[in-house]
Amino acid sequence: MVRGLASMSDKPIIAGIGHSPFGKLTGRTALDLEVEAAIKALEDSGLRPQDVDGLVTDPGPAQGIVNGITPHYLALGQLLGLDPRYTGSEILGGAGSIAIIQRAVAAIEAGLCSVCLCVYGDAPLSSAGSFAYARGDEAAFGLFGAIGIHALAAQRHMHLWGTTAEQLAEVAMAARAHAAKNPNAYLQEPLTMDSYRQANYIVEPLKHPDCCLVSDGAAAVLVTAADYAVDLCKPAVSILGHGQAHSFGTWSSANHFDSLPAARCGPEVLHKAGLTLEDIDVVQLYDCFTIVVLMQLEAYGFCKPGEAGAFVEGGRIGPGGELPVNTSGGLLAEAYGGGMLHVIEAVRQLRNEADERQISNAETALISGHGLGMNTHTSLILGN
Amino acid sequence: MDNEAYYPLPQPTAFTTRFWEACQRQELEIPQCQSCNHLFLPGGPVCPNCWSQELDSCLASGRGKVANYVVYHRSYHRAIPAPYVVAIIELEEGVRMVSNVILCPPESISIGMPVQVVFEKAANAESDFLLPKFKPVGED
Repeated sequence: MVRGLASMSDKPIIAGIGHSPFGKLTGRTALDLEVEAAIKALEDSGLRPQDVDGLVTDPGPAQGIVNGITPHYLALGQLLGLDPRYTGSEILGGAGSIAIIQRAVAAIEAGLCSVCLCVYGDAPLSSAGSFAYARGDEAAFGLFGAIGIHALAAQRHMHLWGTTAEQLAEVAMAARAHAAKNPNAYLQEPLTMDSYRQANYIVEPLKHPDCCLVSDGAAAVLVTAADYAVDLCKPAVSILGHGQAHSFGTWSSANHFDSLPAARCGPEVLHKAGLTLEDIDVVQLYDCFTIVVLMQLEAYGFCKPGEAGAFVEGGRIGPGGELPVNTSGGLLAEAYGGGMLHVIEAVRQLRNEADERQISNAETALISGHGLGMNTHTSLILGN
Repeated sequence: MDNEAYYPLPQPTAFTTRFWEACQRQELEIPQCQSCNHLFLPGGPVCPNCWSQELDSCLASGRGKVANYVVYHRSYHRAIPAPYVVAIIELEEGVRMVSNVILCPPESISIGMPVQVVFEKAANAESDFLLPKFKPVGED
């Protein structure tokens, strides 16, 4: 594979990664899990707490959206005893984890800090929050949860392009097959086409296996200025490009459910990194629901609009397929980790730490984030 | 999630009151920009197309078609039992709105199906608040 033109000698790097366990973690709070993830990310880097001068956070949906926006960075920063030079939180739903990494990169490049902890955490199962919220007056019509929005997207995809339930199932089956190779994954047993067909609808046309897990847990990435690379325990991972694109249409906007804003930032981010899709070795696409993987394969240009259903047939995005997607099992089978576990898996692949699921000669990774009822999107490209 | 027995009624704001009050008269009044004629929902302080503050409403016919729909097989609120259909209705004036398709089996619904507004009292609500829902054209 060709290395990007933007070889990152002086650009911020990923210096460490860490995460808590994920699952139903009774008795744990989101903040306590975030502290654990932060400590592990710092240990992984070899840097010391007194080196940290930036903290940016992504409180997940149950913490951040439903219960109102408290200054999450302050709550976590107090527990970590930090007096940082730079801080803040981002509320972009599933696009938030990449957004905080972007914010760290921008802050470091602007000279505002040099060692920035980026922390996602949430505890929807062990706290009062919930993902099944409604937005505004649509509750009167029963439009609850991210699932309703994504079921509408799936219905449109099926109507416009003839996408089938079996093609959605391929995405879920691939996720389970990847997860079987990941000891951290929650759902390790395989999913067969028969068991998918027998599964119950939650919001038709989406069935239970089309939906991601809901998990308590936290994950952190440490972003530093390039000159810290020599101090690290492990090889630095380069940040080759990043971008955002959003679509703030309401459900009443024509065609809101027909495409993703990813189609705007994907090509731009690849261009910034000096890469094309053919150069990408590791693909980590936000997968809150199976349909979103199909829509992103189209939006990023892995296939043409409308062709993603056929594209994923025959295990193409599963282990050993032509384009393995979400080698850790993703949100569908590993755990719900905001978008940070997608970034962490990409770092592990680029460090050659992915054991049984290692993609050979992995040098570049594309990671996406998607959130808030198809309103927000973030993209990140990493290299080694 | 507010999982009380009370129906999750709309909470009219300064910008959406006109729409919801019209519904109580069994009329659909859609916010419309006087500068560019853009129709939009929900109502707001400016036209989201051209940012004009010169806004009025357009009385819609109540006829439209199903632009998109899903079937909830799981209930997320005690006052709204499953199964039920959430739909995006495209009114013949061109604007879309979130609603329910009622008075027909979910299996009979398809994208493009012609529908007509029907104002229905929110089930289990303590008030007589009317919600604009849709039924297949020709069903009574």
